[in-house]
Amino acid sequence: MFRWKKLGKVFAPQEVVGRPWLKEFAQAPAALVLGDVVRMYFSCRPPADADGKYVSYSAYVDLDRSDLFKVRHVAEQPILSLGDLGEFDEFGTYPVSVIRDGEDIRAYYAGWTRCESVPFNVAIGCAISQDDGKTFSKLGNGPVLSYTPDEPFVLSGPKIRKFNDVWHLFYIAGRKWKLVDGRAEPVYKIRMATSVDGVNWNKHNEDLIPSRIEEDEAQASPDVFYANGKYHMFFCYRYSSHYRGKQNGYRIGYASSTNLTDWTRDDSKAGIDVSESGWDTEMISYPHVFQLDGKTYMAYLGDQVGRYGFGLAVLEGELE
Amino acid sequence: MKWQKLGKIFDPTEHSLPNNCMQFAQSPQVLLFDDFVRIYFSTRSLDQSNGKYLSHIAFVDMRKNFRDIIRVSDKTVIPLGELGCFDEHGIFPMSVLRHGDAVYGYTCGWNRRASVSVDTAIGLAVSRDDGLTFERIGNGPVLAASLHEPCLVGDGFVKVVDGIFHMWYIFGTGWKKYAPDVAPDRTYKIGHATSSDGIKWIKEESRQIISDRLGVDESQALPTVVEIDGRYHMFFCYRESFDFRKGKGRGYRIGHAWSEDLVNWTRDDERPLLEGTQGEWDSEMQCYPHVFECDEKVYLLYNGNEFGRHGFGLAVLEV
Repeated sequence: MFRWKKLGKVFAPQEVVGRPWLKEFAQAPAALVLGDVVRMYFSCRPPADADGKYVSYSAYVDLDRSDLFKVRHVAEQPILSLGDLGEFDEFGTYPVSVIRDGEDIRAYYAGWTRCESVPFNVAIGCAISQDDGKTFSKLGNGPVLSYTPDEPFVLSGPKIRKFNDVWHLFYIAGRKWKLVDGRAEPVYKIRMATSVDGVNWNKHNEDLIPSRIEEDEAQASPDVFYANGKYHMFFCYRYSSHYRGKQNGYRIGYASSTNLTDWTRDDSKAGIDVSESGWDTEMISYPHVFQLDGKTYMAYLGDQVGRYGFGLAVLEGELE
Repeated sequence: MKWQKLGKIFDPTEHSLPNNCMQFAQSPQVLLFDDFVRIYFSTRSLDQSNGKYLSHIAFVDMRKNFRDIIRVSDKTVIPLGELGCFDEHGIFPMSVLRHGDAVYGYTCGWNRRASVSVDTAIGLAVSRDDGLTFERIGNGPVLAASLHEPCLVGDGFVKVVDGIFHMWYIFGTGWKKYAPDVAPDRTYKIGHATSSDGIKWIKEESRQIISDRLGVDESQALPTVVEIDGRYHMFFCYRESFDFRKGKGRGYRIGHAWSEDLVNWTRDDERPLLEGTQGEWDSEMQCYPHVFECDEKVYLLYNGNEFGRHGFGLAVLEV
């Protein structure tokens, strides 16, 4: 079992001033280590519109490398614009995952549109930055990963990695929309695709992680890294119904693999759970693990899926 | 080459249709049998929850004289997609072809959106009972929006040439509001993809293969391809992207292009030209063409006024 020591909440969007598009939420943190800062990407929202609907943007906060609780800078603008009328990312760019590619920084992000019978649909886009991740231009105005026979809707939560010179995209794919008290709730599972160029993808077309708590368990945030001879995945999962509170809300799970396709799930090893008190007593979700100066950190979300920001934990002991 | 028009051959209001469909017999497409033809078309029911249309596939079996009707489908050919799927609100059109013992149906699935009316994608459904019923290979599409084709991938027409599956289809180039008080309108163009198995497709990714006649705001739809004397002929329909429903001279008419190599297409709408007949069912509009060979003749099925609300007709090519 891993032992994570919680360090507390690092970033609260409510404390940021002068950015109306960053009113609340700092979801799905993703780290990019620069010289003396860790640039932490996240997704946020302006106030809801008259119908109570949100759009989402992605941005970053620069944390001081020697003291991650010191905010050095917050992005002046979102890193990506919303899509044009009728495009897949017209109503949101959330979440985002970044990776270095030579001199460039490449971002994979989930683009949101709104539908009539269900609240939304999501597909995955790609954008490139040539200024160390401050601004990004989209590769195209359509998605780089879209719907296929076995993945009919809600392709979201991309995590981009490069292992053995092959691009790996871990993401979630919608399985069904489940009607709960008259409301359509999405069920999604963790999937993977590989690519030689990061543009043309081959889907693996199988669930990577077996469901544990129920058949319709929803899984998200498949955060994969390599350490000590194997691949580790932290992710989050929830029940399909009534998951907006403590009872059925998100928890963090764990799986490991030696070949990236066959995964052994063992949530008892995750080593992090909700707290007795504080900002993460009801749910914890969207884990992102990164290594910095000899330590291993996990950034994650607390109650209300990051409405009030994200926090950090540090690994005690070694990765097994 | 010249079209000889044979008139309207099917009126949906004269028949009882499955799924409580009432009007419309759009985008007719044939499956040939030894002694009859099965013509699939899209018809419509009303969504009781909001009064909007749902498109369903039905078919009519006809003798090869294209006059005698043997039967009209009396049950569901393919159900609509599940909640949140690309084909939840309609299938229109469906392109059919025989492949081994099966019949492949490439569907254009419709789903409603919030900021624009609709999006589409292309699915595959397979029939093991000679086209009476179809089962989709999955809940998602085989061809959908991609990096440079941001929306409205649809109207797939599939043909196997030298062992390779070819699909001609349309992709949206974007939505635009042409006036402050009107709903957004879309523009789409004809593209091409190939496949070795009919399931996994490689697009030419936003290459518009048919040149515009009306400029960038021309929408091109429903390509259909036939080989005549070693040359490939494509028929399609085209219109202005704005004010195309009622605007005089702005609605659908039939276009044509030819190719020797399936790569380069030369547009030539005049040879052969299909014209509407004044006072007739196709006076204002000609759309949703489907060309096919039957008993050594080349036929064209198409819709007339009001996008096929009142049925479809036939023309035969005189060479």
